[in-house]
Amino acid sequence: MRAFAVGGTAALLSVGLFLALWGSPPDAYQGEYVRIMYVHVPAAVSAYGAAAVAFGAGALYLWRRDRRWDFVGRAGAELAALFSGLTLLTGMLWGKPVWGVWWAWDARLVTTAVLFLLYVGCLLVRDLADDPERGRRLSAAVAVLAFLDVPVVHYSVVWFRTLHQGPSISLQGVKLAPEFLLPLAVNAVAYLALLSVLLAERARLASLEGER
Amino acid sequence: MKAWRRVAAVARKDLLLEWRGRDAVLPAGSFGFAVLLVLGLVSGGGGEAAPSALWVSVLLAAVLAAGRGADREGEEGTREVLLLYPGSREDLFWGRWLALCVVLLVLAAGLWCAQVLLFDAPTRGAGVLILAALLATAGLGAAGTLLAALVAHVRAGPLLMPLLFLPATVPVLLAGVRLSETAASGAPAGPWWGVLVVFDLLFLLVGPVLFELVVEG
Repeated sequence: MRAFAVGGTAALLSVGLFLALWGSPPDAYQGEYVRIMYVHVPAAVSAYGAAAVAFGAGALYLWRRDRRWDFVGRAGAELAALFSGLTLLTGMLWGKPVWGVWWAWDARLVTTAVLFLLYVGCLLVRDLADDPERGRRLSAAVAVLAFLDVPVVHYSVVWFRTLHQGPSISLQGVKLAPEFLLPLAVNAVAYLALLSVLLAERARLASLEGER
Repeated sequence: MKAWRRVAAVARKDLLLEWRGRDAVLPAGSFGFAVLLVLGLVSGGGGEAAPSALWVSVLLAAVLAAGRGADREGEEGTREVLLLYPGSREDLFWGRWLALCVVLLVLAAGLWCAQVLLFDAPTRGAGVLILAALLATAGLGAAGTLLAALVAHVRAGPLLMPLLFLPATVPVLLAGVRLSETAASGAPAGPWWGVLVVFDLLFLLVGPVLFELVVEG
């Protein structure tokens, strides 16, 4: 099962990469830089997913005090930091050629940076607590708190006037040409599969560390 | 003992210690004043920089003030004693929150006066500013009370406090700056009252619940 999941994810990522590099035409305005979107958007979706896992597992750990939820919560918090950091990095790489700046003081960018910092804090609290059980509890509390930022990140482009474009895919419809939508959808699925595999592997590793 | 009496007793204890020692208001206020000076110096001290300088100084002073109550209990070893008293630990949260709100209001008022003098900032729209300060204080107090309890048992807690507090309270900073600007110019406030109210509601609802879990022995 594990080998199947890893193999399937690797295959999905390969197809996603192929579609992003060769299956998608260049954009009329952004040119070849549109290809960064095929990493940036899936990374952002994965960051939301990891944050949701860290929130759910954190809340369940605080309620039930079952170590298994802590293993999942730890993996979720680490991956939320990783994917939100990747979202920021790819956004900056795209921003320089398209916007002309690495960084803009924009609500979406700032709230994403806040999300990244909160998960860094979550991981530090765990490592620096004066006893391991307290560290687990405190980091679960920070994970619950940090998740409150996710809707703010997502809706910041709706609530505020921002440089960052609004959502291209929403309940109101899809504002993306099919030739861009397919690579984006495949990459989003591939990244979510990668997130699931990394979550499972990291939680397993955390449980092995916990058993020592 | 009824809940409100426990809340009042904790708040009274914190405020009495603060009144006698002044070890939160004076250092945090002086630090906030130093931040105002530095920001005034680098920005040229123009009136347009005044709202940003005020709210940044309030936020940074709040980081220090929020941590002080928890530090005091750690230094004097009274934290465990306080936790042993019967009744809900939520009351501890509300007592500390109340005391911290008073301290933050004093700090905000002092820093506002300093900002008016240093930046020659307009004093129009006092009603808007007072309401914004009250709402901001309620939210900052809740976030500060929760996070101070959270970092109390963490190595390098004083370093982690700003790392958690500043990102979490960015909405208050933004809303405070924008509302101060609109108070001075008379422009419409836009979504910023809503931002402050939602921030307050979130932290006042989540804060006491997480506080109970965080302070467990």
